[in-house]
Amino acid sequence: MINRLRAAGRILLEAVLVAAVGAAFAFAANQVSPRGLVLARNYFPTGTNEAVRMPTIPVVPDNVASTNPAPAVAAPSPVSPTNTQEVPWIDGPQAMQLFHDSHLKPGAVIFIDARDEGRYQEGHVPGAYEFDPYHPEKYFPEVLPVCRTAEQIVIYCNGGDCDDSKTAALLLKEVGIPDQKIFIYGGGIAEWTSTHQPVETGARNSGTLKIAIQ
Amino acid sequence: MTNPDPIPKAAVVNLFTVLARWLLGATILYLGLNKALHPVDFLKLLRQYDLTPDALLLNSLAAALPWFEIFCGLLLLAGIAVRGTALTLTLLLASFTVLVLHRALLLGVAQNIPFCAVKFDCGCGAGEEFVCRKLLENLLLLVLSGWLLAGRGRQFSLRYSLKKPPAR
Repeated sequence: MINRLRAAGRILLEAVLVAAVGAAFAFAANQVSPRGLVLARNYFPTGTNEAVRMPTIPVVPDNVASTNPAPAVAAPSPVSPTNTQEVPWIDGPQAMQLFHDSHLKPGAVIFIDARDEGRYQEGHVPGAYEFDPYHPEKYFPEVLPVCRTAEQIVIYCNGGDCDDSKTAALLLKEVGIPDQKIFIYGGGIAEWTSTHQPVETGARNSGTLKIAIQ
Repeated sequence: MTNPDPIPKAAVVNLFTVLARWLLGATILYLGLNKALHPVDFLKLLRQYDLTPDALLLNSLAAALPWFEIFCGLLLLAGIAVRGTALTLTLLLASFTVLVLHRALLLGVAQNIPFCAVKFDCGCGAGEEFVCRKLLENLLLLVLSGWLLAGRGRQFSLRYSLKKPPAR
Protein backbone atom coordinates (compact mmCIF):
# COMPACT_ATOMS: atom_id res chain seq x y z
CA MET A 1 0.00 0.00 0.00
CA ILE A 2 2.75 2.42 1.00
CA ASN A 3 4.70 1.48 -2.12
CA ARG A 4 1.67 2.23 -4.30
CA LEU A 5 1.19 5.60 -2.64
CA ARG A 6 4.85 6.37 -3.15
CA ALA A 7 4.60 5.38 -6.82
CA ALA A 8 1.51 7.57 -7.26
CA GLY A 9 3.33 10.45 -5.58
CA ARG A 10 6.28 10.01 -7.93
CA ILE A 11 4.00 10.06 -10.99
CA LEU A 12 2.24 13.16 -9.69
CA LEU A 13 5.56 14.88 -9.08
CA GLU A 14 6.70 13.91 -12.55
CA ALA A 15 3.48 15.30 -14.02
CA VAL A 16 3.97 18.59 -12.17
CA LEU A 17 7.53 18.77 -13.48
CA VAL A 18 6.36 18.01 -17.05
CA ALA A 19 3.67 20.68 -16.73
CA ALA A 20 6.11 23.29 -15.41
CA VAL A 21 8.82 22.66 -18.00
CA GLY A 22 6.16 22.30 -20.70
CA ALA A 23 4.62 25.65 -19.80
CA ALA A 24 8.03 27.36 -19.85
CA PHE A 25 8.76 25.75 -23.21
CA ALA A 26 5.35 26.77 -24.55
CA PHE A 27 5.66 30.45 -23.66
CA ALA A 28 9.23 30.59 -24.93
CA ALA A 29 8.19 28.97 -28.22
CA ASN A 30 5.30 31.41 -28.62
CA GLN A 31 7.71 34.28 -28.02
CA VAL A 32 10.16 33.01 -30.64
CA SER A 33 7.55 31.97 -33.21
CA PRO A 34 6.97 34.57 -35.94
CA ARG A 35 3.28 33.69 -35.72
CA GLY A 36 3.20 33.90 -31.95
CA LEU A 37 0.47 35.79 -30.11
CA VAL A 38 1.16 39.06 -28.32
CA LEU A 39 -0.09 38.27 -24.85
CA ALA A 40 -0.88 41.83 -23.82
CA ARG A 41 -2.88 42.68 -26.94
CA ASN A 42 -6.66 42.71 -26.92
CA TYR A 43 -7.42 40.83 -30.12
CA PHE A 44 -11.16 41.32 -29.77
CA PRO A 45 -12.06 44.93 -29.14
CA THR A 46 -15.75 45.00 -28.33
CA GLY A 47 -18.27 46.61 -30.66
CA THR A 48 -21.65 46.05 -32.16
CA ASN A 49 -22.70 46.24 -35.76
CA GLU A 50 -25.71 48.03 -36.99
CA ALA A 51 -27.08 47.86 -40.49
CA VAL A 52 -27.52 51.33 -41.95
CA ARG A 53 -28.23 52.76 -45.31
CA MET A 54 -25.25 53.41 -47.49
CA PRO A 55 -24.47 57.08 -47.86
CA THR A 56 -24.75 58.88 -51.15
CA ILE A 57 -21.47 58.63 -52.96
CA PRO A 58 -20.15 61.44 -55.11
CA VAL A 59 -20.25 60.62 -58.79
CA VAL A 60 -16.93 61.26 -60.43
CA PRO A 61 -15.47 59.43 -63.41
CA ASP A 62 -13.02 56.63 -62.80
CA ASN A 63 -12.71 53.11 -61.53
CA VAL A 64 -14.02 52.37 -58.07
CA ALA A 65 -11.81 49.41 -57.51
CA SER A 66 -8.67 51.37 -58.04
CA THR A 67 -7.17 52.16 -54.69
CA ASN A 68 -4.46 54.61 -55.57
CA PRO A 69 -4.15 57.39 -53.05
CA ALA A 70 -5.82 60.60 -54.08
CA PRO A 71 -6.77 63.82 -52.41
CA ALA A 72 -9.94 63.57 -50.46
CA VAL A 73 -13.06 64.86 -52.09
CA ALA A 74 -15.79 66.40 -50.02
CA ALA A 75 -18.44 63.73 -49.83
CA PRO A 76 -21.87 63.93 -48.32
CA SER A 77 -21.74 62.76 -44.74
CA PRO A 78 -22.65 59.14 -44.33
CA VAL A 79 -25.05 57.96 -41.69
CA SER A 80 -23.03 58.15 -38.52
CA PRO A 81 -23.29 55.45 -35.92
CA THR A 82 -24.70 56.70 -32.67
CA ASN A 83 -22.06 54.92 -30.63
CA THR A 84 -18.34 55.11 -31.36
CA GLN A 85 -18.11 51.34 -31.00
CA GLU A 86 -20.72 50.78 -33.70
CA VAL A 87 -19.65 50.30 -37.28
CA PRO A 88 -22.25 50.74 -40.00
CA TRP A 89 -22.87 47.85 -42.35
CA ILE A 90 -23.56 47.77 -46.04
CA ASP A 91 -25.19 44.91 -47.87
CA GLY A 92 -24.17 43.07 -51.03
CA PRO A 93 -25.81 45.33 -53.63
CA GLN A 94 -24.35 48.37 -51.90
CA ALA A 95 -20.86 46.85 -51.87
CA MET A 96 -21.20 45.84 -55.50
CA GLN A 97 -22.43 49.28 -56.41
CA LEU A 98 -19.36 50.77 -54.81
CA PHE A 99 -17.16 48.35 -56.67
CA HIS A 100 -18.81 48.61 -60.05
CA ASP A 101 -19.64 52.27 -60.13
CA SER A 102 -17.20 53.63 -62.65
CA HIS A 103 -17.90 57.24 -61.83
CA LEU A 104 -15.71 57.44 -58.81
CA LYS A 105 -12.22 58.77 -58.87
CA PRO A 106 -9.31 56.49 -57.96
CA GLY A 107 -8.82 56.08 -54.27
CA ALA A 108 -12.18 57.48 -53.30
CA VAL A 109 -13.42 54.06 -52.29
CA ILE A 110 -11.11 51.35 -51.06
CA PHE A 111 -11.83 47.80 -50.09
CA ILE A 112 -9.98 46.21 -47.20
CA ASP A 113 -9.72 42.46 -46.77
CA ALA A 114 -9.57 41.63 -43.06
CA ARG A 115 -8.77 37.94 -43.46
CA ASP A 116 -5.41 36.28 -43.01
CA GLU A 117 -2.72 36.21 -45.66
CA GLY A 118 -3.50 32.71 -46.94
CA ARG A 119 -7.16 33.41 -47.54
CA TYR A 120 -6.34 36.77 -49.09
CA GLN A 121 -4.01 35.10 -51.56
CA GLU A 122 -6.68 32.55 -52.47
CA GLY A 123 -8.98 35.30 -53.64
CA HIS A 124 -10.01 38.80 -52.65
CA VAL A 125 -12.09 41.65 -54.05
CA PRO A 126 -9.94 43.00 -56.90
CA GLY A 127 -7.77 45.85 -55.69
CA ALA A 128 -8.58 45.24 -52.02
CA TYR A 129 -5.85 45.92 -49.51
CA GLU A 130 -4.73 43.14 -47.23
CA PHE A 131 -5.17 43.97 -43.54
CA ASP A 132 -5.07 41.13 -41.06
CA PRO A 133 -6.27 42.85 -37.86
CA TYR A 134 -4.38 40.37 -35.73
CA HIS A 135 -1.06 41.55 -37.16
CA PRO A 136 -1.82 45.24 -37.73
CA GLU A 137 1.77 46.41 -37.41
CA LYS A 138 2.57 44.49 -40.61
CA TYR A 139 -0.08 46.24 -42.70
CA PHE A 140 -0.43 49.72 -41.24
CA PRO A 141 2.41 51.25 -43.32
CA GLU A 142 0.59 50.47 -46.55
CA VAL A 143 -3.02 50.69 -45.44
CA LEU A 144 -3.06 53.82 -43.28
CA PRO A 145 -2.03 56.36 -45.96
CA VAL A 146 -4.74 55.16 -48.35
CA CYS A 147 -7.31 55.04 -45.57
CA ARG A 148 -6.53 58.66 -44.71
CA THR A 149 -7.13 59.84 -48.25
CA ALA A 150 -10.07 57.60 -49.09
CA GLU A 151 -13.63 58.83 -48.71
CA GLN A 152 -15.24 55.44 -48.21
CA ILE A 153 -13.57 52.40 -46.72
CA VAL A 154 -15.32 49.07 -47.17
CA ILE A 155 -14.03 46.32 -44.90
CA TYR A 156 -14.97 42.69 -45.27
CA CYS A 157 -13.94 39.24 -44.07
CA ASN A 158 -15.41 35.81 -44.74
CA GLY A 159 -18.99 36.83 -44.01
CA GLY A 160 -21.43 35.00 -41.79
CA ASP A 161 -20.39 35.10 -38.17
CA CYS A 162 -16.90 36.33 -39.00
CA ASP A 163 -16.10 39.42 -36.95
CA ASP A 164 -12.61 40.16 -38.25
CA SER A 165 -13.93 43.05 -40.33
CA LYS A 166 -15.36 44.61 -37.19
CA THR A 167 -12.06 44.14 -35.41
CA ALA A 168 -10.25 45.77 -38.34
CA ALA A 169 -12.71 48.67 -38.38
CA LEU A 170 -12.24 49.34 -34.70
CA LEU A 171 -8.47 49.23 -35.10
CA LEU A 172 -8.61 51.80 -37.89
CA LYS A 173 -10.83 54.03 -35.76
CA GLU A 174 -8.38 53.71 -32.90
CA VAL A 175 -5.57 55.09 -35.05
CA GLY A 176 -7.60 58.08 -36.10
CA ILE A 177 -9.43 57.09 -39.28
CA PRO A 178 -12.79 58.91 -39.09
CA ASP A 179 -15.56 56.44 -38.37
CA GLN A 180 -17.91 58.25 -40.76
CA LYS A 181 -16.15 56.70 -43.72
CA ILE A 182 -15.75 53.16 -42.46
CA PHE A 183 -18.29 50.52 -43.51
CA ILE A 184 -18.46 46.81 -43.07
CA TYR A 185 -19.60 44.62 -45.90
CA GLY A 186 -21.36 41.98 -43.81
CA GLY A 187 -21.82 39.39 -46.55
CA GLY A 188 -18.07 39.26 -46.99
CA ILE A 189 -16.17 37.28 -49.56
CA ALA A 190 -18.65 34.38 -49.31
CA GLU A 191 -21.49 36.52 -50.62
CA TRP A 192 -19.20 38.25 -53.11
CA THR A 193 -18.20 34.98 -54.76
CA SER A 194 -21.67 33.46 -54.51
CA THR A 195 -22.97 36.30 -56.68
CA HIS A 196 -20.28 35.59 -59.27
CA GLN A 197 -18.32 38.76 -58.69
CA PRO A 198 -14.69 38.64 -59.80
CA VAL A 199 -11.96 37.86 -57.30
CA GLU A 200 -8.29 38.55 -57.65
CA THR A 201 -5.82 35.87 -56.58
CA GLY A 202 -2.32 36.39 -55.26
CA ALA A 203 -1.04 39.83 -54.44
CA ARG A 204 -3.03 43.05 -54.77
CA ASN A 205 -3.33 44.20 -58.38
CA SER A 206 -1.77 40.94 -59.55
CA GLY A 207 -4.15 41.05 -62.47
CA THR A 208 -5.13 37.41 -61.98
CA LEU A 209 -8.90 37.48 -61.89
CA LYS A 210 -11.37 34.66 -61.64
CA ILE A 211 -15.08 34.27 -61.19
CA ALA A 212 -16.34 31.56 -58.89
CA ILE A 213 -18.73 29.12 -60.54
CA GLN A 214 -21.09 27.54 -58.07
CA MET B 1 3.00 -31.41 -27.53
CA THR B 2 3.56 -27.73 -27.13
CA ASN B 3 4.72 -25.16 -29.64
CA PRO B 4 8.51 -24.92 -29.22
CA ASP B 5 8.71 -21.24 -30.13
CA PRO B 6 5.57 -19.44 -28.98
CA ILE B 7 5.42 -15.68 -29.11
CA PRO B 8 5.31 -14.61 -25.48
CA LYS B 9 2.13 -12.79 -24.57
CA ALA B 10 4.12 -10.15 -22.71
CA ALA B 11 6.11 -9.33 -25.85
CA VAL B 12 2.92 -8.76 -27.83
CA VAL B 13 1.49 -6.53 -25.10
CA ASN B 14 4.76 -4.58 -24.95
CA LEU B 15 4.78 -4.13 -28.69
CA PHE B 16 1.22 -2.83 -28.71
CA THR B 17 1.97 -0.54 -25.80
CA VAL B 18 4.95 1.01 -27.52
CA LEU B 19 2.84 1.49 -30.63
CA ALA B 20 0.14 3.08 -28.46
CA ARG B 21 2.68 5.49 -26.98
CA TRP B 22 3.91 6.46 -30.43
CA LEU B 23 0.38 6.81 -31.74
CA LEU B 24 -0.67 9.02 -28.84
CA GLY B 25 2.54 11.07 -29.08
CA ALA B 26 2.23 11.56 -32.83
CA THR B 27 -1.46 12.50 -32.59
CA ILE B 28 -0.87 15.04 -29.85
CA LEU B 29 2.12 16.43 -31.75
CA TYR B 30 0.06 16.73 -34.95
CA LEU B 31 -2.86 18.45 -33.21
CA GLY B 32 -0.49 20.82 -31.41
CA LEU B 33 1.35 21.72 -34.61
CA ASN B 34 -1.91 22.49 -36.41
CA LYS B 35 -2.79 24.96 -33.69
CA ALA B 36 0.69 26.45 -33.33
CA LEU B 37 0.79 27.20 -37.05
CA HIS B 38 -2.48 29.15 -36.84
CA PRO B 39 -2.52 30.65 -33.34
CA VAL B 40 -5.00 33.40 -34.16
CA ASP B 41 -7.50 30.89 -35.53
CA PHE B 42 -7.05 28.86 -32.36
CA LEU B 43 -7.52 31.97 -30.22
CA LYS B 44 -10.80 32.73 -31.99
CA LEU B 45 -12.05 29.19 -31.48
CA LEU B 46 -10.98 29.18 -27.85
CA ARG B 47 -12.85 32.43 -27.31
CA GLN B 48 -16.11 30.71 -28.24
CA TYR B 49 -15.95 28.67 -25.04
CA ASP B 50 -16.26 31.82 -22.90
CA LEU B 51 -13.59 30.51 -20.56
CA THR B 52 -12.55 33.93 -19.35
CA PRO B 53 -13.28 37.57 -20.14
CA ASP B 54 -9.66 38.45 -19.40
CA ALA B 55 -7.75 39.02 -22.66
CA LEU B 56 -4.34 38.30 -21.15
CA LEU B 57 -5.47 34.96 -19.74
CA LEU B 58 -7.20 33.95 -22.97
CA ASN B 59 -4.16 34.95 -25.04
CA SER B 60 -1.89 33.03 -22.68
CA LEU B 61 -3.99 29.89 -23.00
CA ALA B 62 -4.12 30.15 -26.79
CA ALA B 63 -0.42 30.87 -26.99
CA ALA B 64 0.74 28.13 -24.65
CA LEU B 65 -1.61 25.18 -25.24
CA PRO B 66 -0.43 24.27 -28.75
CA TRP B 67 3.23 24.33 -27.82
CA PHE B 68 2.49 22.48 -24.60
CA GLU B 69 0.88 19.71 -26.63
CA ILE B 70 3.87 19.64 -28.95
CA PHE B 71 6.12 19.30 -25.92
CA CYS B 72 4.07 16.41 -24.50
CA GLY B 73 3.91 14.72 -27.90
CA LEU B 74 7.67 14.86 -28.25
CA LEU B 75 8.16 13.47 -24.73
CA LEU B 76 5.92 10.51 -25.52
CA LEU B 77 7.57 9.81 -28.86
CA ALA B 78 11.00 9.88 -27.23
CA GLY B 79 9.82 8.01 -24.16
CA ILE B 80 10.75 10.60 -21.54
CA ALA B 81 8.81 10.88 -18.28
CA VAL B 82 6.12 8.72 -19.83
CA ARG B 83 3.82 8.29 -16.85
CA GLY B 84 4.01 11.91 -15.76
CA THR B 85 3.31 13.03 -19.32
CA ALA B 86 0.45 10.54 -19.58
CA LEU B 87 -1.09 11.91 -16.38
CA THR B 88 -0.78 15.47 -17.65
CA LEU B 89 -2.38 14.52 -20.95
CA THR B 90 -5.16 12.60 -19.24
CA LEU B 91 -6.10 15.68 -17.25
CA LEU B 92 -5.88 17.90 -20.33
CA LEU B 93 -7.91 15.56 -22.51
CA ALA B 94 -10.56 15.10 -19.85
CA SER B 95 -10.91 18.88 -19.50
CA PHE B 96 -11.13 19.37 -23.26
CA THR B 97 -13.70 16.61 -23.57
CA VAL B 98 -15.94 18.20 -20.95
CA LEU B 99 -15.68 21.58 -22.69
CA VAL B 100 -16.44 20.11 -26.11
CA LEU B 101 -19.38 18.15 -24.71
CA HIS B 102 -20.79 21.24 -23.02
CA ARG B 103 -20.48 23.37 -26.14
CA ALA B 104 -21.97 20.65 -28.34
CA LEU B 105 -24.96 20.37 -26.02
CA LEU B 106 -25.51 24.12 -26.24
CA LEU B 107 -25.19 24.08 -30.02
CA GLY B 108 -27.55 21.13 -30.31
CA VAL B 109 -30.21 22.92 -28.28
CA ALA B 110 -29.67 26.21 -30.13
CA GLN B 111 -29.94 24.57 -33.54
CA ASN B 112 -32.63 22.11 -32.46
CA ILE B 113 -30.81 19.13 -33.97
CA PRO B 114 -29.85 15.71 -32.58
CA PHE B 115 -26.67 15.69 -30.53
CA CYS B 116 -24.66 13.63 -33.01
CA ALA B 117 -25.68 15.93 -35.87
CA VAL B 118 -23.84 18.81 -34.20
CA LYS B 119 -20.80 19.67 -36.27
CA PHE B 120 -18.34 22.37 -35.35
CA ASP B 121 -14.67 23.21 -35.10
CA CYS B 122 -13.86 22.61 -31.46
CA GLY B 123 -10.37 24.09 -31.80
CA CYS B 124 -8.89 20.67 -31.20
CA GLY B 125 -6.63 20.97 -34.24
CA ALA B 126 -8.48 18.72 -36.66
CA GLY B 127 -10.95 21.23 -38.11
CA GLU B 128 -14.71 20.91 -38.22
CA GLU B 129 -16.15 17.52 -37.39
CA PHE B 130 -19.20 15.81 -35.93
CA VAL B 131 -19.21 15.93 -32.17
CA CYS B 132 -19.85 12.22 -31.61
CA ARG B 133 -16.84 11.36 -33.70
CA LYS B 134 -14.76 13.93 -31.82
CA LEU B 135 -15.83 12.54 -28.48
CA LEU B 136 -14.98 9.00 -29.58
CA GLU B 137 -11.54 10.16 -30.69
CA ASN B 138 -10.99 11.85 -27.35
CA LEU B 139 -12.14 8.71 -25.57
CA LEU B 140 -9.62 6.65 -27.52
CA LEU B 141 -6.85 9.09 -26.65
CA LEU B 142 -7.92 8.97 -23.01
CA VAL B 143 -7.76 5.17 -23.03
CA LEU B 144 -4.27 5.31 -24.53
CA SER B 145 -3.18 7.85 -21.92
CA GLY B 146 -4.63 5.71 -19.16
CA TRP B 147 -2.84 2.67 -20.57
CA LEU B 148 0.48 4.49 -20.43
CA LEU B 149 -0.32 5.88 -17.00
CA ALA B 150 -0.77 2.32 -15.79
CA GLY B 151 2.91 1.73 -16.41
CA ARG B 152 3.08 0.25 -19.90
CA GLY B 153 5.24 1.20 -22.83
CA ARG B 154 8.70 1.11 -21.32
CA GLN B 155 10.42 -0.25 -24.39
CA PHE B 156 12.34 2.13 -26.65
CA SER B 157 12.15 4.83 -24.01
CA LEU B 158 14.99 7.30 -23.60
CA ARG B 159 14.16 7.87 -19.97
CA TYR B 160 10.93 6.24 -18.93
CA SER B 161 10.96 7.81 -15.49
CA LEU B 162 12.67 10.95 -14.27
CA LYS B 163 13.39 9.20 -10.99
CA LYS B 164 17.10 8.59 -10.54
CA PRO B 165 17.88 5.04 -11.68
CA PRO B 166 19.20 2.80 -8.89
CA ALA B 167 22.99 2.61 -8.60
CA ARG B 168 24.46 -0.64 -9.92
